[in-house]
Amino acid sequence: MAPKLETLTSDPAMDSIDPILHTLRLVPYAFLRPPRLRLKLPSLTLPSPMTTYSLALLTYFMVVSGIVYDVIVEPPGIGSTQDRATGAVRPVVFLPGRVNGQYIIEGLSSGFMFVLGGTGIVLMDLALDRNRARSVKVSFASAGVSFVVIAYVMSMLFIRIKIPAYLR
Amino acid sequence: MVGKVEAVNGGVKPTTTTPASSETPADLAPPAFSFRALKLKTKQQELLIRVTILCLVYVLAFIARLFSVLRYESMIHEFDPYFNYRTTLYLTQKGFYEFWNWFDSESWYPLGRIIGGTLYPGLMVTAALIYWTLRFLRFAVHIREVCVLTAPFFASNTTLVAYFFGKELWDSGAGLVAAALIAICPGYISRSVAGSYDNEAVAIFALLLTFYLFVKAVNMGSLAWALASAFGYFYMVSAWGGYVFIINLIPLYVLVLLITGRYSMRLYVAYNCMYVLGMLLAMQIRFVGFQHVQSGEHMAAMGVFFLMQVFYFLDWVKYLLNDSKLFQAFLRITVTCAVVVGAVALGVGTASGYISPWTGRFYSLLDPTYAKDHIPIIASVSEHQPTAWSSFMFDFHILLFLFPAGLYFCFKRLTDATIFIVMYGLTSMYFAGVMVRLILVATPAVCLISAVAVSATIKNLTQLLRAKNKAAGPGKGATSVKASSKASLDQSLPFQRNGAIALLVGAFYLLSRYATHCTWVTSEAYSSPSIVLAARGAYGNRVIFDDYREAYFWLRQNTPSDAKVMSWWDYGYQITAMGNRTVIVDNNTWNNTHIATVGRAMSSYEDEAYEIMRSLDVDYVLVVFGGVTGYSSDDINKFLWMVRIGGGVFPVIKEPDYLVNGEYRVDKGAAPKMLNCLM
Repeated sequence: MAPKLETLTSDPAMDSIDPILHTLRLVPYAFLRPPRLRLKLPSLTLPSPMTTYSLALLTYFMVVSGIVYDVIVEPPGIGSTQDRATGAVRPVVFLPGRVNGQYIIEGLSSGFMFVLGGTGIVLMDLALDRNRARSVKVSFASAGVSFVVIAYVMSMLFIRIKIPAYLR
Repeated sequence: MVGKVEAVNGGVKPTTTTPASSETPADLAPPAFSFRALKLKTKQQELLIRVTILCLVYVLAFIARLFSVLRYESMIHEFDPYFNYRTTLYLTQKGFYEFWNWFDSESWYPLGRIIGGTLYPGLMVTAALIYWTLRFLRFAVHIREVCVLTAPFFASNTTLVAYFFGKELWDSGAGLVAAALIAICPGYISRSVAGSYDNEAVAIFALLLTFYLFVKAVNMGSLAWALASAFGYFYMVSAWGGYVFIINLIPLYVLVLLITGRYSMRLYVAYNCMYVLGMLLAMQIRFVGFQHVQSGEHMAAMGVFFLMQVFYFLDWVKYLLNDSKLFQAFLRITVTCAVVVGAVALGVGTASGYISPWTGRFYSLLDPTYAKDHIPIIASVSEHQPTAWSSFMFDFHILLFLFPAGLYFCFKRLTDATIFIVMYGLTSMYFAGVMVRLILVATPAVCLISAVAVSATIKNLTQLLRAKNKAAGPGKGATSVKASSKASLDQSLPFQRNGAIALLVGAFYLLSRYATHCTWVTSEAYSSPSIVLAARGAYGNRVIFDDYREAYFWLRQNTPSDAKVMSWWDYGYQITAMGNRTVIVDNNTWNNTHIATVGRAMSSYEDEAYEIMRSLDVDYVLVVFGGVTGYSSDDINKFLWMVRIGGGVFPVIKEPDYLVNGEYRVDKGAAPKMLNCLM
């Protein structure tokens, strides 16, 4: 018992054979006393899958809206034409004539429609989850279906405005 | 006998025929086989359905790409495929050794081009092998037919690989949907239509095959699959410069797996085998050479390779130590040391110049504004422009909605395979946003993820349908507990069955609209051969003009065989392939100064241009003018690019000289330099 108690009370550094440890014990730390801090290194935890998914969805929205096109080509936010008769300046939302060209706002609204459609399908899947209240499930399902319908109809409308010869 | 009678009756009424009626079966004369024997078990039915669907999808992928062959004729499209065709012709005529050591003095006069060392031979060797196989079977095909139909053939093979990949990722239903989606997706069709004899035709097949084999190797942990993926990587390296995507995505994937704590022996075996063997095999291609150890673009793979060894070492030490605290300390020291050593090695390599920095082509993918300011040749190609939303919509249609939904399903069920496809999808979508041409690389990922969404959604809906059925049927005889739980499921959503049916109809409607869209886009937008042009005449009739080929044939027939032709670099390949004459610059664009010389000649005054042309021994000049027909991509439209590229090397040429008030005009109000220059 006695030898164990001794080892418990004595400094574990005495058992070390590390020369640097002994030097450090002598030179600064014989007279310096390190303060007692309550610092903790911030621990890095991985984000949950759904957090990552929402980040991915945001990135997808930006890419599909043509943000790289916007940064490089720098088109105006919205185009404008001059009305021949009255001379008034009318805004033009969709860049006509080319498939690979856009104004900023038309890109963002189309990107929003795509993400809306995707979210609709996700909501439909969430509606089938058994652990939710019935009213929540009904509202998820109806919202999901309406999102998908709206997104598809609007996207078709956009592409028909942009490319008049679509599907003809 | 009795059994046969039963089968004829369809087994409806159990027969109790007496032996007295055993004479009647002879009169009844039942069919030679019994329908009972045809009734397959469910597993066999499912296999039959799957095989039928795959066969139909295979045929569909092939025939959807044949529009231009049926409308015009079987010919090679565009510009780059003509070079590939010429090299394949040379390969089949002269053999592999001549091809591998070929120095071409017919292009880039007076410099010449080492073709054997500056091309990716995969496509040519594949087409030549198919040609030799068909010839061996005594089919007398011409090499041109084989070249034209290589792309649809490999597109069909890609659908098969997509099926197996989908099966690996999710289940066989998702695999079937993936195969069907990728068969007609316009993003893929645009570069693999019949006649588009370009590297991507074979490369996308090799890309998907390599990824599938690697994911299979990670799932199985077997050396055989990893070896197969190394050979798939070798095929990809031999086929296309885009292999850099593979050699960066796979290490990134391994890194993500390590970070999320999914390190395992399977991953170790798969990655090590694939990296080492793949790297050694890739060095067999002269064009790639030692880039795997020297170029900055390939360093990520090497870094992850060493990181894997560190992980394995730590695992082994942990097993030996059996002491948690000591191991933690050891872990921290080792990881710090490894990272520091790696960074120092990378720094020394880059500073001493041994590791070359990222080349302009790939650097402009990471920093899209780089090409606009520094490398006008890259910026001028129309395929390299960033992507607008309508290009995405054109090439993907419904898949743009299904992609985020599929991502959600993949995140819900995270496995090694779904993590891979999510990473492939996200990185390839980003690059597709940077450059229109790269929508092609994103297409397989988008199709696979959308297939996951479609499969999961339809499975949910059909489960809703069948749950109600099951409750109606044997539920009546079940215990009260079971009945009440099924009843509560019925109560959970009103009009469940009708709603599910309506939604299924809606889903099929959407998929049919996708098919209609794809067919329309293929027919209208992606089946034009670009060398034969069509336009509407004055009376609305369709006028087809074959001016390009007529011009090249004129060159072939009416000029001396050693004549040199100067033209802008777009037409170089076609002139050498069809006109069989020496050109000054062509589409390879490997020598910017030479192209700038031609650009300078085109945009100088006529006497200066004459001096330059005499120094290059030019006999003929070819220009394309589309004035009367309104053809919009002629040399007048490209002229400003000639000025910019020429001005990039010779500051004598200044772009503002050719503009009037900052505007480019070509009528009589044009700038005087513009009116008097060679063009």
